[in-house]
Amino acid sequence: MQSVALLREKGGVEGLVRTPRNNRALPQVLAAFGTLAEGLDYAAQGVTGFNFYSPRGALQHVLTYAELRCRALSTGRKLLSLGLRRGDRVAVVAETGPDFMSVFFGCQYAGLIPCPMPYTMYIGGKDSYIDRVAGMLAAARAQIAIASDDLYGHIAQGAAKAGVSRVLTHAELQDQPEAHCKLESFGPDEDAYIQYSSGSTSSPKGVLITQKAITANARGILREGLKLTPHDRAFSWLPLYHDMGLVGFCLSPMMGQVTVDFLATTSFARRPALWLKLMSDNKSTITYSPSFGFDLAARRVNGDAAALDLSSLRVAGIGGDMVRSDVLDHFASTLSVAGFKPAAFLPSYGMAETTLAISFADCDQPVRVDRIDRLALKNEGRAVASSEKGARSLVVCGRPMSDSEVEIRSETGDVLMDRDVGRIFVKSPSLMAGYYNNPEATEAAIGADGFLDTGDMGYWLDGEIVITGRAKDLILHNGRNIWPQDIEWVAEQIEPLRSGDVAAFAVEGDDDDDDVVVLVQCRLQNEADIEALRHAVSAAVHRSAGVECKVVMVPPKSLPFTSSGKLSRSGAKQKFQSGEIAELMPSVFLQAAQ
Amino acid sequence: MTATVEQICTLLEPFNSNGTTLSARTDISSDLNIDSVTVMDFVMEVEDHFDIEIPLNLLSETRTIGDLAQVVEARTKKG
Repeated sequence: MQSVALLREKGGVEGLVRTPRNNRALPQVLAAFGTLAEGLDYAAQGVTGFNFYSPRGALQHVLTYAELRCRALSTGRKLLSLGLRRGDRVAVVAETGPDFMSVFFGCQYAGLIPCPMPYTMYIGGKDSYIDRVAGMLAAARAQIAIASDDLYGHIAQGAAKAGVSRVLTHAELQDQPEAHCKLESFGPDEDAYIQYSSGSTSSPKGVLITQKAITANARGILREGLKLTPHDRAFSWLPLYHDMGLVGFCLSPMMGQVTVDFLATTSFARRPALWLKLMSDNKSTITYSPSFGFDLAARRVNGDAAALDLSSLRVAGIGGDMVRSDVLDHFASTLSVAGFKPAAFLPSYGMAETTLAISFADCDQPVRVDRIDRLALKNEGRAVASSEKGARSLVVCGRPMSDSEVEIRSETGDVLMDRDVGRIFVKSPSLMAGYYNNPEATEAAIGADGFLDTGDMGYWLDGEIVITGRAKDLILHNGRNIWPQDIEWVAEQIEPLRSGDVAAFAVEGDDDDDDVVVLVQCRLQNEADIEALRHAVSAAVHRSAGVECKVVMVPPKSLPFTSSGKLSRSGAKQKFQSGEIAELMPSVFLQAAQ
Repeated sequence: MTATVEQICTLLEPFNSNGTTLSARTDISSDLNIDSVTVMDFVMEVEDHFDIEIPLNLLSETRTIGDLAQVVEARTKKG
C-alpha cells in the first residue's frame, strides 16, 4: 500500500477505488448495439468503467460507465441549452480525462456530432497548433469549441481564425443550465462523430463516421480481433483524438463493458516505462501501441523489468505504423523476465477512413514474419520469399474482418493474387460516410463500386495482408503520419522562399523508420545567408512537425513538376537519390552532417 | 546566468549531442539536434528536478532555455 503522502505527491486522490475487472451480474454483450448511446446505456448497468492515472502514475479519476452516462446526459442537456441543433458539430480537445468523455458521450445523447481535436505536445509548437486547429474547425464547420482551461487561449485563437465565435472551457459548459427537453440520442441510421486523422494541416479532412460504421467496427474488433472475454482489462496511453485511441481503447471497450485504465499520452511521452508499471499493477490483459511505443518503453525500463509482472498481458497489439519485427524482438527479450509472452503481439492494419480496423492477425498465434527480396520488390513489384541476409522482414497483418471485402489491385485495376504487390482497396460496413463537407475528396477516395482506395501498398500471403508501404507521399516517423505538404508549407513561409520552392519526402532509413529530407530551391549567394536559411527551415520544420530533417539546398528551378503543375515529390526524391539534384554547398553540408 | 538557467543547462547537457554552447538564448527545438521524443525525456528531467508539472500550453509557448527558466520559476513559486 502507498502512503497517503506519497499518493498526494504523485498527484493521486485519496480514497479512490479503481473500477473492477468484470461485471459479475451483467452478462457481457459484444457490441450488439445499434448506437454508441445504446452501448453506454447497457454498460452503465454494470460496475466497470474508465480509470485515469496521473503523470506520475497515481490514480486520479475514476469514471464508471454508470457515472459517465449520468454526466453525459447532463452535459448533453447543457449543450442543447446553448441553442445547438441536431447534427451541429461540437469540437472538443481530446485530453485524456473525464471532461472529454462527458462531452463526447453527451453529444451522443443530444444528437450532436463531436469532433475530437488534438492538443499540442511540442516545445515551441504554439503557432502551428493554432493553424492546425483553425483548419480543423473550418473543415467541420464547428458551431462551438470546448477546451480545458490550459488550452482555452490557443483554441480561442484558432477559433477566431476559423470564424467560430463560441469557445467554452469545460467549467463554463458545466455552468450552463440543463435544457428542459427530451434528449433524443442519435439513432442507428444517423452520424456518430468526426475523426481527424487524414489530410494535411493546410487542408485537413474530417472523416465522418456513422453509428452503423462504429458499431460494426467495434463488433469486429471485439469478436474477431481481440476475442474479448469478461476477464479482460484494457490499458491505453494512446491519444483520444486518434482513431486507435478513440475507437480501439475507449469506444470498443465500452461497447464490450470492460474496464480501461488510461495514462495520458503526454505522460507516456515523459515516462514511457510507466505504461509497463501500471499494466503490471493492474494485471492488464490488452494494450496497443505503434512499434515506436514498444521501442521507447523497452529502452526506458532499464533494470526495473524484473520487478514487473506482464504475465496477464494476452494482447499487445501493434498498429498505426509499419510493424517492425526487430523492435518486437527487442521488447520481448527485454520483458521476458517480467513474464511477457511474445505470442501476445497482435499485428493489425487499419485507418480512420474505415473507422479503425481492417484486418487482425490471429491473437492466439505468434507473429508471422515474411522475409522478401528487396530488389524484386522494388523492380518487379513482387514479394519474393528470400532467406538472404539483406532480405526485408515484413510482419503479416492478418485476415480482413469477416464483414469486409479487401482487394489488392494492380495499377491497371486488375485484382492481384498471392505475392503480387498492389494497392489495397476496402469495402465494409465500417467505411466512413465520407470526408465531411468535402465531396471532391470523398469521390477521390471511394469509387463508384463502393471500395475505398486506402493508398497503401501490400500483397496477399495465404489470405493474410502484408503491408509494404503506406500512401505514396506520406512520411512515417515514430508512429506518426506526417504530410509532406505540411513541412513544405511551413518552410515556404520563410523569406525569401516561395510556394513551389520546397519538396519534402521520406528516405527509408536502415531501421525502416523514415528519414525526412527537405529540398529547398535556394537563390541566395552568400554562404552565411544560405546557412541561416538552412537553419531557419530546419527550426520551422521541427517546431511544426516535431521531426529532425536533413535540409538540402538545391539550385533554382531544379525541382520537377508534373504536367498539371504539381510538385512531383517522387520525381524530386528520385533525382536526389540518383545525384541529379545535389546540395549547393557540399563542403559546408558535409561538415554539418558530421 | 540565473541559477535556474544554469540548472536547466546542466539537465540539458546529456541531450546536447552536437556540443552547442548552451545559454538562456538557446532555442531548445531548433539549435539542438534533438527530436520530439527526446525533448519529452528532457522535459521530464526538468519536471522531476524542480518537482513541477509544465502544462501543454506553456510548453508550446516555450522556445528558449530562458523561456523555460521563466516557466519553471513561475511554477515553483506557485508551490
